[in-house]
Amino acid sequence: MVITGYGMVTPLGRNTEETFQRASQGESGIDTIRSFDTQGLPCRIGGEVDDSWLDGFEDSNIRKLEKFSSRGLKLMIVAAREAVRQARLDEVAERENIGVSLGSHGDNPPVEEVMFLHSFYDGDGQWDIESLLQAGGYSYLQFFRRKPDVAAAILSAAFECRGSNLSIVSACSAGAQAIGEAFRLIRAGRAKAMLAGGCEATVDFVGLAGFVLIKALAERYTAPKKASRPFDRKRCGFVLSEGAGALVLEELEHARSRGAAILGELLGYGDSADAYRITDTHPKGEGAILAMKAALEDASLAPPDVDYINAHGTSTQQNDATETLAIKEVFGERAKTIPVSSNKSMLGHTIAAAGAIESILTLVGMSRSVILPTINYEFPDPKCDLDYVPNAARQMGHRVALSNSFGFGGQNACLCLGKFVEQRS
Amino acid sequence: MSSSDAGPIRDNPVVVTGVGAVTALGQSAAETWSGLLSGEEGIRPIEGFNVEGFGCKLAAQVRGLDPEALGLHSKAARIMDTHSFMLMKCAKEAFAEARLDAAPFVEDEIGFFAGMGMVDYRIDDLVPAVVASKDRDGGLDMEAFYSSGYEAIYSLIILYTLNNVSLCQAAIELKIRGENAVFSPHADSGAYAIAEAVQTLAAGRAEAVLAGGVSEKVSPFGLARAHLQGNLNTVGAGGAALCRPFGADRRGTILGEGCGILALESRASADKRGVPYAAMITGWGSAFGCEEDFNAPTTDAIARAMKTALQSATLSPSDIDLLIAHGDGTSMGDRNEFRAVHEVFANSLDRVVVFSSKGALGHLLAGAPAVDAIMGFSMLTEGIIPAALHCAPVDQSVKFRVITKKPVQASPRRLMVNCRSDRGQCASLILEAAR
Repeated sequence: MVITGYGMVTPLGRNTEETFQRASQGESGIDTIRSFDTQGLPCRIGGEVDDSWLDGFEDSNIRKLEKFSSRGLKLMIVAAREAVRQARLDEVAERENIGVSLGSHGDNPPVEEVMFLHSFYDGDGQWDIESLLQAGGYSYLQFFRRKPDVAAAILSAAFECRGSNLSIVSACSAGAQAIGEAFRLIRAGRAKAMLAGGCEATVDFVGLAGFVLIKALAERYTAPKKASRPFDRKRCGFVLSEGAGALVLEELEHARSRGAAILGELLGYGDSADAYRITDTHPKGEGAILAMKAALEDASLAPPDVDYINAHGTSTQQNDATETLAIKEVFGERAKTIPVSSNKSMLGHTIAAAGAIESILTLVGMSRSVILPTINYEFPDPKCDLDYVPNAARQMGHRVALSNSFGFGGQNACLCLGKFVEQRS
Repeated sequence: MSSSDAGPIRDNPVVVTGVGAVTALGQSAAETWSGLLSGEEGIRPIEGFNVEGFGCKLAAQVRGLDPEALGLHSKAARIMDTHSFMLMKCAKEAFAEARLDAAPFVEDEIGFFAGMGMVDYRIDDLVPAVVASKDRDGGLDMEAFYSSGYEAIYSLIILYTLNNVSLCQAAIELKIRGENAVFSPHADSGAYAIAEAVQTLAAGRAEAVLAGGVSEKVSPFGLARAHLQGNLNTVGAGGAALCRPFGADRRGTILGEGCGILALESRASADKRGVPYAAMITGWGSAFGCEEDFNAPTTDAIARAMKTALQSATLSPSDIDLLIAHGDGTSMGDRNEFRAVHEVFANSLDRVVVFSSKGALGHLLAGAPAVDAIMGFSMLTEGIIPAALHCAPVDQSVKFRVITKKPVQASPRRLMVNCRSDRGQCASLILEAAR
């Protein structure tokens, strides 16, 4: 199974190249939130994508669908276009053999909408629907924007993918799970190629306030760019970001027969449930351990084969400590010699997009022999004692990597990625 | 681990060792089945909120679901709702019937896949923040809202609204740690969950899997959404709006609440454990294609999902005795489905009989395929096919036999379950009596 195209839009760049270049310089995409007023909220930072990068509906075949599209989907269209162009997917005649697998959640309702609705609600379960309808009703489009299948369907329509069409909603692991499920469909002979990935655009009032209320976000930071500090002792929560990542996964023979450039390999996928608590990860990282082991087993590889780990590394006290424990459990003595880094130190947490964006950065890093750094690593934490590639990218050849994604509620996914080597396949 | 999972599913068949179901017709698979057989109406006037102003005032709601009987802590129950309670109940029942608690599997050898509907914001979780931030004229004081009013938002709102949390809660309750995913939000997602379970078992990535789906709660938001999508029956007939699958005067669908979960396992494993089973899943297919107005899948996509399912089951159309159609009573959706059935079953249209549960159970969205599959198991084992409620008179263009009026004795061996999203996603499953 190979990757023949990828694309992304992130707080660091409008495409893969720009994001990777800036990340390899250790730049942060986190800043004070500009898109809405955050006055009064204890966390006022995030990773936002520049609106001028959202030009994905330029093509006439989907322009009329723009009004149904969530911001997350608009990001995804940009990422998917880059991936599809790179893979030259348009050249494939049999569109029934191409599917879509998307991790996304849809938009949150804006404050104005909650306000508008409130005036038709008696506060006790009863709505005045007649007045609501007379007032212009609840926006048709808002209902559509929250629906994940609409996003997957528009993506399919936009890129003419007529095969299986999956919408995955597994919180922070949705992007990785969407790639994993796509991988399985191709392996089961159900598709020749899949457009897979994730998108998220919840840097809005309800999103930010919601995560503030569960105390998940970084609030004590000296500067926005210093706030996301995975594995650092002074980490205090994650930074909410938006973005999208898309990959074209393809059966090797299919890619070869049409002469597509092969950018990397997806070797295995593993997933697990913590089955512990909704709000906390398992203290020993048992779910994470299961996912990493399952991905390796799926790839017919063993821990000594892994050269790099692209961590979930959210910058919360809990995740980074348990992820470290889990890595030590899986890799034993060797754990301390494997570079482990978190792209979230620079990009923040893009929730359903994270697994896709981070997998792509891992693939690009492998092809260029560059390991992206964990920035803001200043104060070592005795509980986090691995090689986190602190603050500067590292030039190092590597051929097999794991990319972790762990979701709220305890859904864990791990992708095993490989540099494409002709003889192995 | 093999590098390819391809190969007929029937080489290592996946059997159903347990089921759990909740619908408007009953709190179990058995109650739902007997309700279907006796022609009971699940669709009734909506309870629980004021429906004045809505064009459609009917739904097939699940009544009498008791969260306390599920043994849930009130703290856990606070971030749950009807959909979570249904999923929890059905998962526990399927798990128990399959005797998975006594199975020699370790926790990570059991998987869990589910299709979930939309989980809407509960306005009650947001409204206190608005109330706390009102200015003297009753408008919103934005400064007050942003600086402190937001603190009145229910603190776990993020967890409540994430679609995956219900599955995680059931996984916690049952200590399921294996492969898992949540698909959303339409009927196809419930079928993908079952298909993924079959693939997972075939590839040996799990020893047993719970799979199925759950509908949305019938709420003002969900009802408004269904209205705005234009597929609800708001016209009515003699004061009552009915869901008439393939009916000549079908006018749209009616929402329903319900959930179905299957416990699946390879036949070899079930035999080894001595767990009984009567049915197996031998094929599935899926495809995408939607009409210009984004309101129904194309005939081509529905047909491709059916053909792919047949191929994967190494069956031909004439091997299928019974089709449990998606048949949701929408004008274009049902038209495209019967055209697809005509195309696929062109040479056996006189042989295949067609049933749809939606006239009785309403449209269960992600819950529909699993509930239909569970009802299908009863049809396979009991040799009787219930009448599809409210279908008669059937659309004159329909060339196959829809079971109407009263149940018929039959001995189907193989059946197909169809499902689709209005957005164009289609999926089909094939079930067979286990010899």
